[in-house]
Amino acid sequence: MRAGRFLAYGLLGLFVVVYLFPFYWMLVTALKSLADLYRYPPTLVPSPPTLQPFISVLVKRGYFSLIWNSVTVSLTAVVAGIVLSLLIAYPLTRMQVSPRFRRGLLAWILSLRFLPPIVAVVPFFAIIRGLGLYDTRTALILLYTVFSLPFSVWMVKGFLSEIPAELEEAAMVDGATRLVAFFRVLLPQLAPAVLAAGVITFALMWSEFMFAFILTATPRAQTFSIGVASLVTQFEIIWNDMAAVGVISAVIPIALLLAARRYVAQALTFGAVREKS
Amino acid sequence: MSEALLAEQRAARRVTTATRMRRATPYLLMLPPILLLLGLVVYPMVYNVNLSLHSYRTGAFVGLHNFLRVFDDPLFVGSLRATGLYMLLAVGIEVLLGLALALFIHRSVTSAAVRTIVYILMILPMVTPPVAAGVIARLMYTPNYGVLNHLLRLGGVITRDIEWLSTGPTAMFSVLSVDIWQWTPFVFLVTFAGLQAVPQDVLEAAKSDGAGSWNLFRYIEFPYLRSLLLLVLVFRGTDTLRVFDHVLVLTGGGPGSSTEFLSIYLYRVAFKFFDLSYAAAISLYVLLAASVVFMLLQRLLATEAVM
Repeated sequence: MRAGRFLAYGLLGLFVVVYLFPFYWMLVTALKSLADLYRYPPTLVPSPPTLQPFISVLVKRGYFSLIWNSVTVSLTAVVAGIVLSLLIAYPLTRMQVSPRFRRGLLAWILSLRFLPPIVAVVPFFAIIRGLGLYDTRTALILLYTVFSLPFSVWMVKGFLSEIPAELEEAAMVDGATRLVAFFRVLLPQLAPAVLAAGVITFALMWSEFMFAFILTATPRAQTFSIGVASLVTQFEIIWNDMAAVGVISAVIPIALLLAARRYVAQALTFGAVREKS
Repeated sequence: MSEALLAEQRAARRVTTATRMRRATPYLLMLPPILLLLGLVVYPMVYNVNLSLHSYRTGAFVGLHNFLRVFDDPLFVGSLRATGLYMLLAVGIEVLLGLALALFIHRSVTSAAVRTIVYILMILPMVTPPVAAGVIARLMYTPNYGVLNHLLRLGGVITRDIEWLSTGPTAMFSVLSVDIWQWTPFVFLVTFAGLQAVPQDVLEAAKSDGAGSWNLFRYIEFPYLRSLLLLVLVFRGTDTLRVFDHVLVLTGGGPGSSTEFLSIYLYRVAFKFFDLSYAAAISLYVLLAASVVFMLLQRLLATEAVM
């Protein structure tokens, strides 16, 4: 029994090492100087570690502005997405709506999750150009908002149906209007869940690549993902710079989703899976 | 008509308007998001249909011409084959590995702390942006600088560097490995959560009746997991139709067209060949494929009653 457990943990440890080594290697490469980088055989630990690659990409290549674009686009789209999903989820769970409409609407919104975004790229390109929004952050905000709706509607709907309506009803019986009951009674209870939904959709938008790739052309509107891709696909790769942008790109969603980890499985499966921890 | 009667009628009308208003309110609230979805999801599909029936250059109506072109287009057939292979291998391996890992941890790891650590570690690859995963894969697979060749040489597995990204099969392997690395955790999380739902007393009863590990899985745990596994298939199956980011970054669809999946090919037709009408037709085929996969699996799911 003892030996069995030892073996089990050993196997698990080995698996974890193999699984996490790619992350480690990216981080290590990002901390190497150019001289260190071309040492043969490659070293597992940078000596000495340097932040030079990070400074190089953020300052010299001006990637700060791409981060700024990503953050402003994603934040705006998150807020818009949450407001819009409340506009759908609140009436569906708190007001009188025909059950058939309710079921149909939710199913339709869910089905949008399975729509491969690439099929909308050609018309989006034409529509965005037609609106004069090519290479603007507005175009991305619009699309990110729409594509986050299946996620946020389902998450917010799930949370709303878990909060009993009695408290709001009591407030309304006491003379509060629906609006007051919503802001004073419901929203404070809903806030943590809505925040989690926001954090998760923010991470998804930060990671988005395809729409930004097709609908932006200059650092005016390009997001950080585009900056990452351009360092990977250029002819002569500067390895430590590339690793540094990779680290920055990965660290943000990882940090956010670890903070919201209770909700991750639930969000990614539209509520089919609940995590207890 | 008397004053009183008029006043009464007016009051009655006010009531019905009020009721009507109250009935309409939820729909009015839902109107803005629904309009946005119609405008940015449904309208683009209508646009695609219209575009695919016309020549992009001349604007002339060409009927189903663009839809028929796929049959004489070896690149399209190739991308279809590559996508099929990718879907089969990625989803198959992810399901097997993820399930095996979930069972392994469920059975052999009892410490809650270790389970939490595994859960957290599993989230990491899943939430890594695909372009960042592309960076990582570059660092692994690039022939001269990549660390994988170095490790293989150290282990004595190879004597000459493998050009991972320069031959068809190895490029496919590289691209697949990123998907598997990122998404096996998804299968793990879902199936592991499913295993927690299996009632302990049933398991104990079966165990005391002498059921072996395989039979426990086959007859007791698997029925609980079946609908979740179908769910995983819906998500991963349709998601392989949209692979784009890490492939573009890692191989760009090459070498040749060996990793040119439907989405990459569609991108190329639209924005490299500027054949937008043909791209619209291909878009509709991809939409059709996604809908078929979704509906088939949804029907299966409906009989399982999870969603």
